[in-house]
Amino acid sequence: MPETAMRGNGSKHFRYFVAAKPNGSTGDGTPEHPSRSIREAIEDIRVRHAGDSPSVQRLNGYDRIDICSVFKGPTTSDTKQRYEFFVDPLGASDLAIGSAQLPWPDLESALEGVAKMDAEGAIPLGPGEHLSLSVREVFSATPVDRRKRRHERIAQVVLGLVTLTLVVPLVAILGHLVYKAWPVLTPSFLFENPRNQMTAGGVWAPLIGTFYLVFISLLVASPIGVLAGVYLNEYARDNWFTRVVNLAVVNLAGVPSIVHALFGVGAFVMFANMGESVLAASCTLAIMTLPVIITSTREALASVPMNFREACWNMGASRWQTIRTIVLPNSINGILTGVILQVSRAAGETAPILFTGAALYMTIPTKGLRSFFPYSLQDGCMALSYHLHVMMTQVKGASPEAIEAGKSLPLEHLQYGTAIVLIGLVLTVNSFSIGLRMYLRSRKKW
Amino acid sequence: MASVGIQIRDLSVKYGEKPALREVSLDIPPNQIFGIIGPANSGKTTLLKCINRTIDFVTTASVSGSLLVADQDVRRMRNVYELRRRIGMVFPLPVGLPMSIYDNVAYGPRMAGVRQRGELDVLVERCLRQAALWDEVKDRLNLLGTKLSGGQQQRLTLARALSLEPEILCLDEFSIAIDPVTTMKIEEVLLELSREMSIVLVTNLVQQARRLAQNVAFFNSSRLVEVGETKQLFTKPREQLTFDYVTGNIG
Repeated sequence: MPETAMRGNGSKHFRYFVAAKPNGSTGDGTPEHPSRSIREAIEDIRVRHAGDSPSVQRLNGYDRIDICSVFKGPTTSDTKQRYEFFVDPLGASDLAIGSAQLPWPDLESALEGVAKMDAEGAIPLGPGEHLSLSVREVFSATPVDRRKRRHERIAQVVLGLVTLTLVVPLVAILGHLVYKAWPVLTPSFLFENPRNQMTAGGVWAPLIGTFYLVFISLLVASPIGVLAGVYLNEYARDNWFTRVVNLAVVNLAGVPSIVHALFGVGAFVMFANMGESVLAASCTLAIMTLPVIITSTREALASVPMNFREACWNMGASRWQTIRTIVLPNSINGILTGVILQVSRAAGETAPILFTGAALYMTIPTKGLRSFFPYSLQDGCMALSYHLHVMMTQVKGASPEAIEAGKSLPLEHLQYGTAIVLIGLVLTVNSFSIGLRMYLRSRKKW
Repeated sequence: MASVGIQIRDLSVKYGEKPALREVSLDIPPNQIFGIIGPANSGKTTLLKCINRTIDFVTTASVSGSLLVADQDVRRMRNVYELRRRIGMVFPLPVGLPMSIYDNVAYGPRMAGVRQRGELDVLVERCLRQAALWDEVKDRLNLLGTKLSGGQQQRLTLARALSLEPEILCLDEFSIAIDPVTTMKIEEVLLELSREMSIVLVTNLVQQARRLAQNVAFFNSSRLVEVGETKQLFTKPREQLTFDYVTGNIG
């Protein structure tokens, strides 16, 4: 009687042993008396598991028969699976070859198949190896399925880890900044001007300056960008002019911001005679944000299905009517998101305003209505990004005595505080844009 | 409502180098349903696009020949908006515009300058009734047109096409997305409408053309093969190709 084992799921596992060099007499497939060849093992299996006699041990789902090749003599050592064949009554096909995809319909044909392969020498079995014959339950996993599942798990883990390595530094940086800036993070830091050679006070002047720059630059860039995007997506035919414009837009987006700064100096500060002013700096920022606004506008417009436009045209609507009544209302969320995301870009850039309007130091009113409109367009202004740059490179920290006396704050705290305000501004705007996008998407109409 | 016919002379259309229509000459008489049958890629839809000049939006298309609607050459018409208003179009895939059902139907009139609510109310109800959709949507006219089922959207498209009281109604395989019962309903509507307007019915269902049309044109590989009275074309066609197609031996 060959080895039988019950497996965890209640299925049976039979092991028939074959010794490569039997000692004359044939065995019965037990480890002590192995059969002489696979062919004989198959005969044993056929007698025991196939046929009509009442003593036959029928195979059920998940049952498995192994034919284990062992060295001569008694052994119970584990063998390695070399071949795996399948029987599946439901998976039967004329092409059955015993694979997981094309299993044999019943044990008889399976044994026949294995015997044939053995006779052809197609399944050489070295000592220490076995071949398995499994009865598949319907819908049970094939090796291919198992491999798929394994790959799935690997992909999930790898992608998750990559995402984690992305998030961890972000959180770490934010945490570090907040930790370093903690002592100065009070409302007064926001609402006071820098004082004492910028060793005390807050960031009111640069904060308002940044608002000025962002607001005016978007006021300039968004109408131009959106209208150009509408033209390029809705009106422009595919000709050399459009292609040149597209090329220009793409390349403009790739120009380094310091080059924009030089352009700004030439075009706005000098040629347009604006001087180093809020207006010149804003225009420079506008030129910088323009290509991205154009691109995001075009994408938003292109996401409106062509069908809608054709339906309107068929109704006798003009292109402009169609754009006004169908295309713009259904793409405004994408357009707005693109514009708002440029806020953070305009707020964060230092280079374009460096030579065009950023002021090293200014004091502005901090009380009353005047404090919100302190800058005139013809003058320079402070800005958070440039202020941070100045704090890092130009300002000498206060003496320990001054800090001791409470007149000044440690330079490090001020630097990190400025960074926190800048990042806070950017993150606020970004989350506002995300919120807006989610709200508008929930109202999506098709 | 005066009904107008269409006269087509030597109309050829090419998309780039690929011909889509080759020297088609055809008279579509007023006040009847005119069927156009033929296998895919035979130029049927292109013909419709030429009739209301939406072919202009296909940048690669080049058109030659003449196409007269109400004795005016469409290709020389200055006011294409007027042309498109007078020709209702229904294309095979339903398009509910992303606005309310009411606004969907009122869209065309509004774009043409109709502003009075009372006028629009009457119009919307009439068109929805004609398109056999009124009973299903009368209580929820504010629902988004895109939220309707495919078949309902197709009837909404039909209602929209009727909203400008067109003199010519072009239907391009309108029944693809609609169940047979609704199709029959709409077919009855079409028969009714054909008393006061010309209907050009492009269809893949040969039997539909046979049921509805007084005259039928058969297109194959961008040519007009044969045109004639429905009965004659289906029973004694002049061309072998037509015979094979209508009897189901090809296509």
